[in-house]
Amino acid sequence: MVDESLVPTVCPYCALGCGFYIKLGKDKTGIEYMLDHPTNEGALCPKGNATLEILSHPDRLRFPLKKTEGGWVRISWEEALAKVAEEIKKTIRNHGPNALGFLGSAKCTNEENYLFQKMARILGSKNVDSCARRCHSPTIPALNRAFGSACMTNPISDLANSDCIFAIGSNFAENHPIVARWVLRAKDRGAFVIVADPRLTPTAWLSDLHLQIKLGTDVALLNGMMNVIVGEGLENRKFIDKRTVGFEELAERLKGYTPEKVSEITGVSPSSIVEAARTYAKSASSAILYSMGITQHSHGTNNVSACADLALICGQLGRSGAGLYPLRGQNNVQGACDMGVLADFYPGSRSVNDVEAIHFIEEAWGAGPLPVGMGMTAETMPVAAGDGDLRFLYVMGEDVINSDSSSSRGRRELENLDFMVVQDIFMTDTAEMADLVLPAAAWAEKEGSFTSSERRVQWIDRAVPPPGEARSDLWAILELANRLGLDFDYSGPEEVLAEIGRIVPSYAGISRERAEARGGVIWPCPFLDHPGTPILHQEEFSAPEGRARIVPVDYLPPAEESSLDYPLLLTTGRVVLHYNAGSMTRRSFSLMKRAPELFVEVNPDDADRWSIVDGDLVEVNTRRSRAWARAHVTTRQETGVLFMPFHFPETNRLTSDVIDPEARIPEFKVAACRIGKMKGV
Amino acid sequence: MEIYVDLGRCICCHACEVACEREHGEPKISVGSVRDRASVPVSCHQCEVAPCAHVCPSGALSMGDMVSFDGSKCTRCGFCLLACPFGAIDADLTSMIQKCDLCPGREVPACVLTCPTEALIFGYREDATRELRRRAAKRIAQSYAAAVGRDRA
Repeated sequence: MVDESLVPTVCPYCALGCGFYIKLGKDKTGIEYMLDHPTNEGALCPKGNATLEILSHPDRLRFPLKKTEGGWVRISWEEALAKVAEEIKKTIRNHGPNALGFLGSAKCTNEENYLFQKMARILGSKNVDSCARRCHSPTIPALNRAFGSACMTNPISDLANSDCIFAIGSNFAENHPIVARWVLRAKDRGAFVIVADPRLTPTAWLSDLHLQIKLGTDVALLNGMMNVIVGEGLENRKFIDKRTVGFEELAERLKGYTPEKVSEITGVSPSSIVEAARTYAKSASSAILYSMGITQHSHGTNNVSACADLALICGQLGRSGAGLYPLRGQNNVQGACDMGVLADFYPGSRSVNDVEAIHFIEEAWGAGPLPVGMGMTAETMPVAAGDGDLRFLYVMGEDVINSDSSSSRGRRELENLDFMVVQDIFMTDTAEMADLVLPAAAWAEKEGSFTSSERRVQWIDRAVPPPGEARSDLWAILELANRLGLDFDYSGPEEVLAEIGRIVPSYAGISRERAEARGGVIWPCPFLDHPGTPILHQEEFSAPEGRARIVPVDYLPPAEESSLDYPLLLTTGRVVLHYNAGSMTRRSFSLMKRAPELFVEVNPDDADRWSIVDGDLVEVNTRRSRAWARAHVTTRQETGVLFMPFHFPETNRLTSDVIDPEARIPEFKVAACRIGKMKGV
Repeated sequence: MEIYVDLGRCICCHACEVACEREHGEPKISVGSVRDRASVPVSCHQCEVAPCAHVCPSGALSMGDMVSFDGSKCTRCGFCLLACPFGAIDADLTSMIQKCDLCPGREVPACVLTCPTEALIFGYREDATRELRRRAAKRIAQSYAAAVGRDRA
């Protein structure tokens, strides 16, 4: 039809990178399904269906705003950028560059994130990080150590070729619904599905075997399965001898993890542990899916290592149907990590301690010396602000306050900053705390590339103009860099992508044109005619000598245990109708109407014990804070465990701030708590 | 043609509802979860002998290739709401009756296109039941093949 045009785009919510069209009509903007997209074949989850409600939302930020005593005042971009530049210079002058903090965004494009960290590091600040810290930071050290590369090994659609799918700590049916499509295709082929989760989630509905483990006992379960595998001689000797190192040490370590012992720790019967172990090891091709249930623990890095060990000793890697799938959370979290928006990595996973690699980047950028060594993370920046070590914070597209654990403490600490600037599409709770707010363009209002969880790099074009004076983050960074005297001369995002190709080897062959084609390109793509690499580790691993490292780990209990005062355990997670801190989905009418308020899931026994009935308003208390929620009485969890989704700000006031010593991710998944009816209601 | 459901595939994600609501203004399909153990999408089944059309006193609901609805004839009496055995017709009686119209103007209804798990199947009865049989047979045959040591297809 003449009066309608279709602009291809990629969903701005989770990391699966589903494609769809924005349908521009004469008087109406709509969605059309992209049936030939390789990941989603047209299908979209409810959030994907509701994306347009964000673009046209009346709450969108339209103008730069300055905080004054009388409230927010509209200012010009010129004034706003000059102010930010002045504050940056002032901070460097008075406190040095490491008093500057920069939080990038897994929702912004590769080009924007790349320039953001480049700006920060050329200014001399080590403190560059992003919300990737809160989801898959344990994946990065653990899988880098194991495989030499920290990403999903196979494409999502390849799950259809698996004979056994083992999901641990992933409620993909709610959080990555399109994954369920491919898991069910595998089931049509007779695949056996195992789900390890303390809750009976819609993902568990799809399983042939549900291992309802106690919170935080994943390492025990995985070691128990490996104990059975090695004990019965089901390990893949050929693979172990040829492609790995470290098996003997693991075999020794596994001895204590008998099914009986593990059953005591996890609450899963010994026979189920044996069945899971045998099926995973014996199936021709088995895949492991994991997500926040594995990573958000005080021993998250160990959890990931144990998953990798299981895949390695069974040789379930490097071919179709097998693989390890860390399911990532945000549309460009993989890209943000690739671009080096992490306190421990420069672009291309170059360690901040690798002086030689940094020297290469200094040459490429024509700048230097660039900072060496670990910077502050998304978790330590607020603490440093509280201590006065961090004076200036630039937040690009993230609601830090509501994403952080123990969020009320974080709020107090951030108030101590001299200056904070937030660039976002909505006035989030974090933006409310800023001195200056810059209005950003949303995904469909700008162009650039995004990298999905399956390493698929896809370019999108602008479909609609941003509201008011909102501008792309790229534009804002370039304008600011100019005012800071940096030599950032780019005609547009494709020129930035070309530079990324020169710095990040796996992006070397990715041009705008290739990323724009249906389904884009899956990296590593080392040169222009390279077809991309959907399946990693086929011949060898990227680790030293091409061999994967098996890293034995021991079970450690969660940091918090229940006590007399806090007799229950609270775990957190997501629901299908909401997304992360909720700044988008809580503004989406069709989603809010279906999931309007914070709830807490309570087992019927616990409900009886604390005289709670379904629908009551209750108060949940932890050692840090309290929150009110609507009780939902359900047998989804066993007695003693409560569940709350973290899309509503109250939840993360409760969560624990004990962090994983290596990845520095907080233990969002376990907090001792108590529950009671709200007084006076 | 009508919309069939492969119940074992529904993950209660509500994508069909949200898609339908975007296309029609109101959702004409709804998903209900049963004690957090399973879920079912419910919409018009296009009954061959449709109780809603039988009780409709004004002829607004009528049976042909599908059970169709003509808003201009509707008196909002609400008999169809009572008659539908699936509760698939809904209405705030101050507004219009909400009933699935199979998305006129689309080859395949939006809810079916958007369903992440292919739980919704659009087609003639024979096509839909054949698809369900095919899925079941494949599951059984492939498990058998694997059990006796043959490769899965």
